[in-house]
Amino acid sequence: MTKLKDGMSEVETGVKSELAPNRISVDPDSLPTIPAAMEYDYTNFYFGAGTDAFALLEPFDDWWGQVKPAGYYLYELPLRSAPSTRVDVEDTKTGEIRRGLVNFASYNYLGLSYRPEVKEAIKEAADVYGGGSSGSPILSGTTHLHEQFAEEVAAFKGKEAALIFPTGYSANIGTIAGLMRSGDLIVADQYAHASIVDGMILSKSKSRFFRHNRADDLDRKLKDFDGKKLVIVEGVYSMDGDVTALAEIVGVCRDRGARIMIDEAHSAFVYGDTGKGIVEDVGLDDEVDIHLGTFSKSLGGQGGYTAGSLKLINYLRGFSRSRFFSCALSPVVVAGLRKALEIVRDEPELRTKLWENVACMQKLLGDAGVPIGDSTSQVIPVMVRDDARILAMGEELFREGVYINPVIYPAVGKHKSRFRMSISAAHTTEELEEGAAVIQRVLQRYGICP
Amino acid sequence: MSLGSYHFHTGVSAFFEMATADARVLLPQHLEPIEVRHQRSVLSVTAFLFDDSVVGPYTEIMFSVIVPPTVAQWGQHAKAGFFPFLAATSSEQARRIKSERFHFPYHDENIKAQFIEREGRMRVCVFGGGDPIVNVSVTRGSWETTTHLLQGFMMNGTERLRTTLQISSEYTVHENEQGEMTLFPHPMIAKHFPGEVSVYPFREHWFKNGTEVFHKLETF
Repeated sequence: MTKLKDGMSEVETGVKSELAPNRISVDPDSLPTIPAAMEYDYTNFYFGAGTDAFALLEPFDDWWGQVKPAGYYLYELPLRSAPSTRVDVEDTKTGEIRRGLVNFASYNYLGLSYRPEVKEAIKEAADVYGGGSSGSPILSGTTHLHEQFAEEVAAFKGKEAALIFPTGYSANIGTIAGLMRSGDLIVADQYAHASIVDGMILSKSKSRFFRHNRADDLDRKLKDFDGKKLVIVEGVYSMDGDVTALAEIVGVCRDRGARIMIDEAHSAFVYGDTGKGIVEDVGLDDEVDIHLGTFSKSLGGQGGYTAGSLKLINYLRGFSRSRFFSCALSPVVVAGLRKALEIVRDEPELRTKLWENVACMQKLLGDAGVPIGDSTSQVIPVMVRDDARILAMGEELFREGVYINPVIYPAVGKHKSRFRMSISAAHTTEELEEGAAVIQRVLQRYGICP
Repeated sequence: MSLGSYHFHTGVSAFFEMATADARVLLPQHLEPIEVRHQRSVLSVTAFLFDDSVVGPYTEIMFSVIVPPTVAQWGQHAKAGFFPFLAATSSEQARRIKSERFHFPYHDENIKAQFIEREGRMRVCVFGGGDPIVNVSVTRGSWETTTHLLQGFMMNGTERLRTTLQISSEYTVHENEQGEMTLFPHPMIAKHFPGEVSVYPFREHWFKNGTEVFHKLETF
């Protein structure tokens, strides 16, 4: 380290400034300038000191009134059709129904939610059981269908037992907070889903996060802790579409005596020879202690599961508050899920078709120079990295025939904005080509791709 | 009527994760740290090269904990609040004026700061008594012209103070984790950093050719 000579601080500009020499001036006697609404985001209205619990509602509402028509309306657009590969979507800005959009927004990876066999199973269950469970799973909400389905999930995953939750979110918070306690340590990948983070909070354990997929950083976070330790990763990360570095992470867990849990929300039923997930794909199925996933993605239904040893599941059955303080999944949904799981078991060609479609889209976007990050999965981020203009791009994509969700801060980091594309086995090649062409055309207008 | 206008050539602000328990130690009782993740709060390390102020050019470094701003109507609602727990300048006169006006917690001795821009990176090296105190660097994203409304919270004995601050400048921000910070075992900072602070900023701000205006100081 060189020491400075006496005198004024030095300014050394190694490159010529890219900026105009004009200073951005402010009249010091004027009131503060009203900031541009689009430079604010949800995080600016999350915290706020005051004495009224409703203090943030009014400034938030005023802000929302400005940003909604400027692009935020693209979220929560009502579908007017099944989440198929083409969808009809209500444009809440104009009141029009946009029909036949190529759908890259739904995570219906195997196209099972609207399969005729699934719909038929749902109808049959509705005739027998009606619409709802009308009870907690530990009281009156468990039907014969629920029990059969839990056994089928366990068998599919190759585990001793499985527990069914009403959502993937509740599976994570119920499992994590059901197992870990104050004084324990949980270390999760920094890109872990909100439901994992919320489970960590609910558990009251000491919480740490390691740099994404960095086993060396995980090791640093574990090494000085002597108590109970749980490490949590995801199979496929939902915003980047990249896959966990499971082998290295499992190695650190074993060295440090930590249990490991994997959330395969986006990878179960599509990865591996039989569809068990990433754990099967990389040959580490037996090295992972807790296997968790959802039924809302590849199975096209709703709910979540935790699978593992019988002792683990028996324990969680008694301590997963998110499960036993919720109504059990509707038997109608369970019937559809059972049929969807049967299709996954019986039609491995669906997975083959999915990976063909993923390769096709990656080539189409790659050839067009569309940046897609490090994705190797059916979740393909179209990287825009322009927080100010991504919503305008989203509007153009929407109007030109593609339904795809913009993802902005705080769902991803600042200037890591992107469109999250979900590929399905049900997409036709023509749909992939049509969608890729629209994306390329719109991104070209903004200089995102050549 | 403003309480002071400071023109700057360069400013950097890097946000680092720190344990919320450590952040609370640095804050007065009436302020709560925001959490960027569960049990992780935000340390802000900010350095400015002021090239035109009432006391002429000088440099400043400020360490703050990010706190919630006081809610105001839209248009006056600050983007963020900060509680500076340690600051230092290269100018005794600048320090005296800002201490009197804003009660920022200045270190008594002058520091020297070197701002080095090279290949899209701004590196700030701060020295006290010839010895290194901190090196902090941020990297460039895309430039835009922006105005930020912020709130600073200070204490004057038991008196709670709040100032509204506007920064208008060329500006870039990102979360690509390309910057870094090295804290040296210098007496100025030794007692102020309990526990661990991450080496890499999760957010990197870089300001250029702008103006910082303090609009008011309130007791609350």
